[in-house]
Amino acid sequence: MAMDTGKMSNFLEMTGLVKTFTGATALQDVSLNVAKGEVVCLIGPSGCGKSTLLRTANWLTPADAGEVRLDGELVGTMPDQRSASKQAKGLNAVRARIGMVFQNFNVWPHLNVLENVVCPQMVVAKRSRNEAEKKALVALSEVGLEDKKSEWPDNLSGGQKQRLAIARVLAMDPDLMLLDEPTSALDPELVSGVLAVLKRLAEKNMTMIIVTHELGFASSVADRIVFLEGGHIIEQGPPDVILQSPATERLKLFLDKLNITAFQPKSD
Amino acid sequence: MKFDFIYTLDALPRLLEGSLVTLKLALLGFAFSVVLATLVTVARTASKSRILSIAVAVYISFIRGTPLLVQIFLVFYVLPIVGLNIGPVTAGILALTLNSAAFVIEILRGGLASVPKGQFEAARSLGLSGYALWVKVVLPQTFMSSIPPLVNEFTQLLKATALLSTITVVELMRVSQQIYSNNYHPIEVLTGAFVMYFLMCFAVSRGASWLESEFEVKRA
Repeated sequence: MAMDTGKMSNFLEMTGLVKTFTGATALQDVSLNVAKGEVVCLIGPSGCGKSTLLRTANWLTPADAGEVRLDGELVGTMPDQRSASKQAKGLNAVRARIGMVFQNFNVWPHLNVLENVVCPQMVVAKRSRNEAEKKALVALSEVGLEDKKSEWPDNLSGGQKQRLAIARVLAMDPDLMLLDEPTSALDPELVSGVLAVLKRLAEKNMTMIIVTHELGFASSVADRIVFLEGGHIIEQGPPDVILQSPATERLKLFLDKLNITAFQPKSD
Repeated sequence: MKFDFIYTLDALPRLLEGSLVTLKLALLGFAFSVVLATLVTVARTASKSRILSIAVAVYISFIRGTPLLVQIFLVFYVLPIVGLNIGPVTAGILALTLNSAAFVIEILRGGLASVPKGQFEAARSLGLSGYALWVKVVLPQTFMSSIPPLVNEFTQLLKATALLSTITVVELMRVSQQIYSNNYHPIEVLTGAFVMYFLMCFAVSRGASWLESEFEVKRA
């Protein structure tokens, strides 16, 4: 599929990324290319660098070395020779094309549901209120929140908050979505609603990188699963290969630990 | 000696005028102080400048470590020496502003600390930065969680305006002094001023809690 279409596979190019936090190395020369329309799931034990890798993709966490390009356009590089204002300008423009969804939702509590989705459209995408509201309603109905548009985020369940966060991103017409453990903070009964939304996005060929522990979900939406450990990519490939016949001992151990005996490739 | 209520009543119209001046002084001082404190807070946080942050810390400890009355006198007497001939009202408002800003900076620091890091990250990841990041996302949340201490600071400031009587600002306290130095009934007149101060502060704090509960209802 998308992976073997040569030039297309360089939609997002992450090259030679190194990141060290005080005392700990999170990324050790990691490179990852993602094709347009591809869904990549990052898995691995906690502290393996998967969240850091995701957060370097929009330079929310600047890497110490390496660079990230989206569609050939520089997102971030270190050392960066551009002037600070040029960096900031370029970064804002390219960030508007990359939507990020967080584990803790990070919806804005001082704005109601509709305004959460309207605000970035007006401020960043410079849309008129009319246009932004129209787009917001479309995005909200895509995540099943159209009847909650006048609610305040504090009154939403965790799953609804996360779907609101997804709608806020969708309304910006992103070319790429980064999802950092989008269901980890949710009560079990709320997980499926969020996963269903993500699955629909995958079917619509949204390019996504998802950090997840939901291997059943990963196997059903991912074109490719990437296993990281100790700041390295250990193994990557299609879900059935990765999850059913891991090539490395480390991945095997990781999967064993997760005890996925009941793992089913197309489970819903 | 008996308390003759007629003197309080007689003084009432002028006490009301004085109250209006007091309210005006407090509102102006507080408005300037909040604007100044907000600018300092944003500059200090956004620039991450060590020098600025040390300068602010020094300023705050000077303001907190000296009597407001001395600060008022200093502003009133020092500024003309350096060639700034502002009247007592402007000097008074300036002194109140400079004093209150130190406390508001501390209040906003607390409010800012209560805004989760993820709120900044969500805004940045959507392409908001600089002005938009602060005005649309961070400051509204900072102020929302700072309402109770800000209201408290405003009532402190309102009461502190009485000190401006010492630099000839004709506010509620000075008006009272003028009246009782004519009729020699300080107790009746000061009781009137006492009630006026109390009513203003009470109205402010009641109004604030009403606003807050309205806000809660709206968001519930």
